Amino acid sequence: MNDRLQQEPQRTKKAYSKPELVQVPLRPEEAVLGHCKMGSVIGPGGSSNCMPVAACFTLGS
Amino acid sequence: MTNDEIESTNASSAAVLTVSIGDIRIALISHEPDLRLEVQRATKRFLVDNDDDADVIVRAGWGELHDPAAGNQTFDSGSVWRLYRQNSNHLFRFTSPAFGTLPYKQACFSSDFTSGDIVLHRDYFDHRQPVDALEYPLDELLMMNLLTLGRGVEVHACGVEDSDGRGYLFVGQSGAGKTTTARLWHKARGIQVLSDDRIILRCLEGSIWMYGTPWHGEAELAYSTRTPLTQIFFLGRGESNEVVPVRPAEAVARLMASSFVPFYNCSALDHALEFFEHVTEAVPCGELRFAPDERVLEFVRGYTHE
Repeated sequence: MNDRLQQEPQRTKKAYSKPELVQVPLRPEEAVLGHCKMGSVIGPGGSSNCMPVAACFTLGS
Repeated sequence: MTNDEIESTNASSAAVLTVSIGDIRIALISHEPDLRLEVQRATKRFLVDNDDDADVIVRAGWGELHDPAAGNQTFDSGSVWRLYRQNSNHLFRFTSPAFGTLPYKQACFSSDFTSGDIVLHRDYFDHRQPVDALEYPLDELLMMNLLTLGRGVEVHACGVEDSDGRGYLFVGQSGAGKTTTARLWHKARGIQVLSDDRIILRCLEGSIWMYGTPWHGEAELAYSTRTPLTQIFFLGRGESNEVVPVRPAEAVARLMASSFVPFYNCSALDHALEFFEHVTEAVPCGELRFAPDERVLEFVRGYTHE
């Protein structure tokens, strides 16, 4: 056993680093395509203005 | 309808529009004489010649829509759209307070999203005007689902092709600085800003490619070109310019948090995670803390050439 250990190359131990919890925020309203895109209106009449267009719920880019 | 039908449609009086986004071709077809199709704004730049090579075929027509939808609700976006499951099909319904509870539009797609039917609620539309049947958010929802079936992922990012062909991706949610970044690069000579807000990432021919999309932000930069991805920067504010290393697991998490994926679909999430793992192994990532002036351009160039 000792012989085998001696034959193995010396390994440098990696310095211990404490695990960290990194929180990455998610914005659901952006992720689910729930907002209006910049410069756009949604729904019938969006290009013609002849009929009412859908209201934008939130604006986002 | 098959691609043969597109060919016959081209020869008939029916209307066909084909857009190519992220190298995925979507043919939109109307057989109704009083339904003229159009695409609006930046999507016009993504129009291509109609041919029989479409990856996706979507038919549009008038109809009467009723409440409630047949099928089980899968997801409620909290805004204009809801998703239902009808056997193996996906049914999107679009409503607005302007029209009450009845949808103004619905779109039903096959399980693989390569075939779909759009029904436009007849009474809500002015038949003298052309209609953008794929109007946002339907076009982006369709693309998001097509991509996460193994083709790639769309991310909330600004994409820039430098004059030497290097491709930089600046990732961030609203307010992170994508528009500022896009405007700074757009002013420089020989630069192509693919998009100031939405980029499609795909792995093709052994490279990671980024594509411009029609869904631009405030800077209104949206081009239908692609470039190989060289470097990913997560945007952060700073007093001066610096790049802070980001660990691979965090890079994947940050890409996920700035991506457009169907979060209600387990296999799509699996695909996105695997895809981002591959991307972060292939492309260097860091957090770019930057001061919003043109000096950041030279800083980025110097950093990526180190």
